[in-house]
Amino acid sequence: MNALVALCHFCELHGPRTLFCTEAVHPPSPSPPQAGSAIPGDRDPEAEREGEGLTMRANSSATQRDMCEGCRSLPASHPGFVSVDNETGIRYLSHQHPRQAQLFSVVRQACVRSLSCEVCPGREGPIFFGDEQHGFVFSHTFFIKDSLARGFQRWYSIVVVAMDRIYLINSWPFLLRHLRLTIQSLQSTALKVFDSEQCVCPQRVMRMNSAFSPAVFPHQRSGNAARSLTSLTQHPNLWGSLHSSFSWLLKACGSRLTEKLLEGAPTEDTLVLIERQTEQEEEMSGWDGSEGEGSNLQSGQSESAQAKDFQFEDGKQDDFIGPKFKSLRHLRQVLGAADFRQLTWHVLMGNQVIWRGSDSGLIQSAFSVLKALLPVGCVRAIPYSPHYEEAYRCNFLGLSPDVPIPAHVSSSEFSVLVDVLNAEKGCAGQLTADEVLSLYQFHLSSTNTQPTDKGPTLLNKMEVALSNENLSVEVVSLCLLCLKEEWMNKVKVLFKFSKVDGRGKEDTQRVLGLLGATGPGEEDNVRLLKFWMTGLSKLYKSHLMTAVRGGERTLSQ
Amino acid sequence: MLLGVGKAHTGTCWHAPTVWSWASVVGLKMKFKIWRKNTSRWLFIPESASWNSWASAEFDLAQIRLIVYQDCERRGRQVLFDSKAIHKLDSSEPTADESKTTPNRSNACQIGCQASDKDKPPSYQYTRPASDVNMLGEMMFGSVSMSYKGSTLKIHHIRSPPQLMISKVFSTRFGSSSVSGSTSTLQDSFESMCQTFPSHSSSMAHSNPVDMPSRGHSEDGDSGIARSASLSSLLATPLPSPGSSLSSGCASSFQRRYLRSQATSLQHGPVPRCSNPAMIRRKKIAISIIISLPEREEENHSFQEFFFSHFPLFESHMNKLKTAIERAMIVCRRIAESSQRVQVYLCRVMEALGEFRMTVWNLYMAPRISEPVWLSMISQSAERNLLCQRFMKEMSLLMEHGAKTQFLSVLLTAVLTHHLAWVPTVMPSNLPPAKHACQKPTSQTVDHLAKSHPYNPLWAQLGDLYGALGSPVRVCRTVVVGRRRELVQRVLYVLSYFIRCSDLQEEHVQPQGRDNSANPCMSQTNDPSTEKHFSPPPDEPFSEVPGTNEKAQISGVGVPIPCMFVQQQQDLSKDTKSTNPPNSLEAANVGPESSETGQECFGEVSGELEHILANQSPLLHRVQFHIGSPREADNAGQAGNLAAMGAGRGFDKCLHQRLLTDVMRNESSDSALGDSDDEETSLQEVYMASELMEYDLPLPKFEVESRASVNHFGRSLLGGYCPQYMPDFALHGISSDFRLKQYLMADLEHTVLHPALDEPVAEALCIVADTDRLSVQVVSSQRRVFEGGRLGRDVMMSNLIHTLITSVLQLFALNIAADFCVMHLEDRLQEVYFKSRSLAEYLRGQTRVHVKELGLALGRNKGIRYKVKHEKMFT
Repeated sequence: MNALVALCHFCELHGPRTLFCTEAVHPPSPSPPQAGSAIPGDRDPEAEREGEGLTMRANSSATQRDMCEGCRSLPASHPGFVSVDNETGIRYLSHQHPRQAQLFSVVRQACVRSLSCEVCPGREGPIFFGDEQHGFVFSHTFFIKDSLARGFQRWYSIVVVAMDRIYLINSWPFLLRHLRLTIQSLQSTALKVFDSEQCVCPQRVMRMNSAFSPAVFPHQRSGNAARSLTSLTQHPNLWGSLHSSFSWLLKACGSRLTEKLLEGAPTEDTLVLIERQTEQEEEMSGWDGSEGEGSNLQSGQSESAQAKDFQFEDGKQDDFIGPKFKSLRHLRQVLGAADFRQLTWHVLMGNQVIWRGSDSGLIQSAFSVLKALLPVGCVRAIPYSPHYEEAYRCNFLGLSPDVPIPAHVSSSEFSVLVDVLNAEKGCAGQLTADEVLSLYQFHLSSTNTQPTDKGPTLLNKMEVALSNENLSVEVVSLCLLCLKEEWMNKVKVLFKFSKVDGRGKEDTQRVLGLLGATGPGEEDNVRLLKFWMTGLSKLYKSHLMTAVRGGERTLSQ
Repeated sequence: MLLGVGKAHTGTCWHAPTVWSWASVVGLKMKFKIWRKNTSRWLFIPESASWNSWASAEFDLAQIRLIVYQDCERRGRQVLFDSKAIHKLDSSEPTADESKTTPNRSNACQIGCQASDKDKPPSYQYTRPASDVNMLGEMMFGSVSMSYKGSTLKIHHIRSPPQLMISKVFSTRFGSSSVSGSTSTLQDSFESMCQTFPSHSSSMAHSNPVDMPSRGHSEDGDSGIARSASLSSLLATPLPSPGSSLSSGCASSFQRRYLRSQATSLQHGPVPRCSNPAMIRRKKIAISIIISLPEREEENHSFQEFFFSHFPLFESHMNKLKTAIERAMIVCRRIAESSQRVQVYLCRVMEALGEFRMTVWNLYMAPRISEPVWLSMISQSAERNLLCQRFMKEMSLLMEHGAKTQFLSVLLTAVLTHHLAWVPTVMPSNLPPAKHACQKPTSQTVDHLAKSHPYNPLWAQLGDLYGALGSPVRVCRTVVVGRRRELVQRVLYVLSYFIRCSDLQEEHVQPQGRDNSANPCMSQTNDPSTEKHFSPPPDEPFSEVPGTNEKAQISGVGVPIPCMFVQQQQDLSKDTKSTNPPNSLEAANVGPESSETGQECFGEVSGELEHILANQSPLLHRVQFHIGSPREADNAGQAGNLAAMGAGRGFDKCLHQRLLTDVMRNESSDSALGDSDDEETSLQEVYMASELMEYDLPLPKFEVESRASVNHFGRSLLGGYCPQYMPDFALHGISSDFRLKQYLMADLEHTVLHPALDEPVAEALCIVADTDRLSVQVVSSQRRVFEGGRLGRDVMMSNLIHTLITSVLQLFALNIAADFCVMHLEDRLQEVYFKSRSLAEYLRGQTRVHVKELGLALGRNKGIRYKVKHEKMFT
């Protein structure tokens, strides 16, 4: 808990005093570690504190005049205690006073208020008080038996100070329950000491018998006022135990309530990426055998790196100096609306898309732009190959200019070929769409006889977005993401319906209707859905399969 | 087949969800457990039978006492009001302190002189205050006089008779405004009446309240925070790449909690003192509520647990009471005639007290939704299929009922627009799921945060329920009105799926564990590292886990824990190399289904956080979006620096805000204590000591038992079909909107002025769904005037939401398994999230909005309009 705990004492000679204080030092605010550079927001308080510390030290000519045994916990030479919670990095530090200067006065304030301002009926018990300037305080006052003290007892309090008022109040029952245990054990230990001391030398009798003299009285009493809590409890490791107890309290109070918070399930794209990575790793470890823990630690990073790679292929693309396609809109401008429509139609239907040309960088950039149209699981790309690869191996294939296309492919309606013809060898550098166009000619050919202008619905919508120049590239890509997710969700339903539940044709038609896949372009929509179904993650599919079995079992009970 | 089972029971046993009352659930933990075990049949058992029989704790209105005290420099302390010393002179009701009439559980608690007979207000007699009043005064003001500039809060526990006292002490500005004409003061009236003080003073000492500042307007002009919309601030996370499936993940849940942890950090120290010496402080007023605690230990315990966990609500109502008392004081000052003045004053205060008592009673006793769908799905994964089935069934019935007006779609449009906590629950996670795939993962980032930078989970939950996720903060409640009980309950049940919050679990420390941790004197050994080992109880499921002496005891939920869990626990303990306990808190509470959170959680949390922050650029961006001016962020250059600054600015901003609100709320200075620190010497010592290395002691280990906590807002603020309108509930149903109409506007304004959320609130909203008229309206604290006696603005249905709901229900009608339908519903909500995000991105670069453009692209014109409404509402 973001709080500190302190034991305070009302000294007969010196008034309210802080005896012992345990603070929780939290790990620095989460921010990427940067060697050498000072992070302003974070490091400042510490620097300040050290500065103050120095000034304090510089003019520390004051003596220890105002300290007696009763006001002291650890001797001046004692370095204090620390406990580190390795799991969270929180360090629990105990000293007589808090180490942070700004907390010093906070604790002082809490101590004074708990022992000399606030009134508790019976003088023993819990009180909450405080304000935003001095922090909020849960205080519990109590007596400790002392055979030599006035009234045979001394007055103490344990204060818990925090800035979060509500949290502290919420924790009242917990704090009360556990502080009471601590207090009771202190009291009972001191009571034993008290009883044994009374046996040896009954103070009451002695005091009754000794002549009272106003002149001697203060002197007498001051001698007695100096007993420390250690001597009152005869506990050799009192402060160490208190440190443990207070540290525990802070930790337990902070973790008393735990939140169970759900976030959205990962998208299918994420799942597929993870699956692919796992497969890769398994292959690697298969060869390597010595897979260390290191790779596990890195997994988070490499995942996102890979994801980015996949989407952007920035790194690779940057290696190619030369013209490339920057976005779907760019590609559309270069190819022209009609060819673009035809090409993307083939992409979405799952047909094999072959680009043939000498500039592998350009081809690769075309693929990375086009891939964004499909779910990750539907993309199988061979960016540049010296020979033809079959459609079942890849739906994106880049080829050198001279590679022949087999006859069964060139005659198939399930493929489209884009020949990139170098009109003239141009210079490298930033080129506008027109300039790229002037360098290359793109020749698109397919034996497909079906109309590509009706559907699928996704493509129609996509084209609207692409053709509207008012929408930025970012907005368009977000739109594309929406459309993909929307259709992916339809894919899931269809999968569940046809593959898992095995429903008949009529029912399937109804589902298609309610998914909004019917109507104009229905045939294309259905083709798209069926193709995309192949891109579902294994995890999802197996989950649905097992869920069905599980569900049936539940029902039969 | 699925449907067959359902239908067979619809006619007879398919009762609308039943309700339970607060006091009873706490008292009946045993029953709760037993009942849990019979879960396989629960769906078809009318729960009411078991739930209605448990009237354990009654709460008597007389248990709440009000004392108003004044502390004046010249005249000392005077009691201005003590409800215990007031007697009603009305002959019809001899025991005038109306509190004697404890409301029936099934009825509303209705009191107040206003309600009983309007024509002749009751007259009261003020007798000598009770004997304990002097002592109570001491406690309220403290023994040493301290001077305050603002109000301060104290809580005392009085042991016998067991009572809790909550005091608000505030100072009055002395004679700052002149209400001329009246020569004698209110105090004088009391003085003469009580004959405690001679009535000699003629000075005008009225209580001009130091009002609680309106915290709703503390948005900084220069931070741009006022303009950032709540949903858009949630959504304006730029996508890292087109089509990327990786997104901002749990950013918003994480960030809100992180900022809270920073804002309330002790390490940033207290707010610097801004004293205003010009202010004259001479008089303080204390308003104290004293609650008598139940005699029976168990009831006492459960009431206290409820009180302290729900304190923000109690405090908010106390503030309302305070305002009413101040008004009473001001009003009666204008009355010249002394006895009449006293009567007006007493009547007014008694009425306000009556309201307070009633609200507290209702808060404690009102019925709750017994199985809030969302929370139950989180906590009882084993029953998921049944829950889904019931939920889909109820939703279908509801859809059929309001088909003509599309009531459900309209209502869900409003709910999803304002109760925004669903958004983070559909934001896709980036982290790999574990074995129990496809179900929503628990947020690991937030989990790490909770450990390394603790924040108050109750606060987070309250914010979730009220939909207070954006900035500036807007809070929302939903009230369902209707005479048909079953229908209202059905609506409540369905909405309890869409109004979301995190589930809370409470860790109970085992008695054995206590001995060596909380109790410093038990181990009389020099080496604190030698802990006592306790042999595990025989029934403990996992006794000795190799590598640690840590034991996790699982209980409560009654779910059998698969062996896998043990396995994992062992692995984990190996991982942590047993230097510290493998947090059994964590391990114990996750249960079988979410034990996947395991491995990741046990790493170095701070490292994790750094990792998260370093890799989640959206999150960082969000921080900037919230806080800084965009220009600054652009200049910040390097990504790393940017990140650090973003985060830094994040909590600077928060601290700043805290400073502002705090200074306004609670200016106090302590002249009595002074600034003189006579412990300078020790301060010096502090720094000497700091150069040495502290002795390293191991953290005490402790055993915990984690239980589903009942005392949290997710359970308490989702109300059932209540006898009366309630101002606190995030959701509840009522039969008539009579009181609603009467109080709603004032309540909304009060929410903005004194938010229970402990952070400034810009606007308070209430969705009012009328199941009789099938209408849905939104009432706002900002918009007041509506013609025709309507409360608020009618809600327009979003087509996006309508299609969403319809298609999910149609799937269900096609006999697709309910739990798949629910999964699909979540997918569709995720679509809404994605679409809203596109829109946010679109709006970012746009000076003029042409929504059609985007609408055509996304294909759902009206849906987009819905989202624009979304945006506009928050911009």
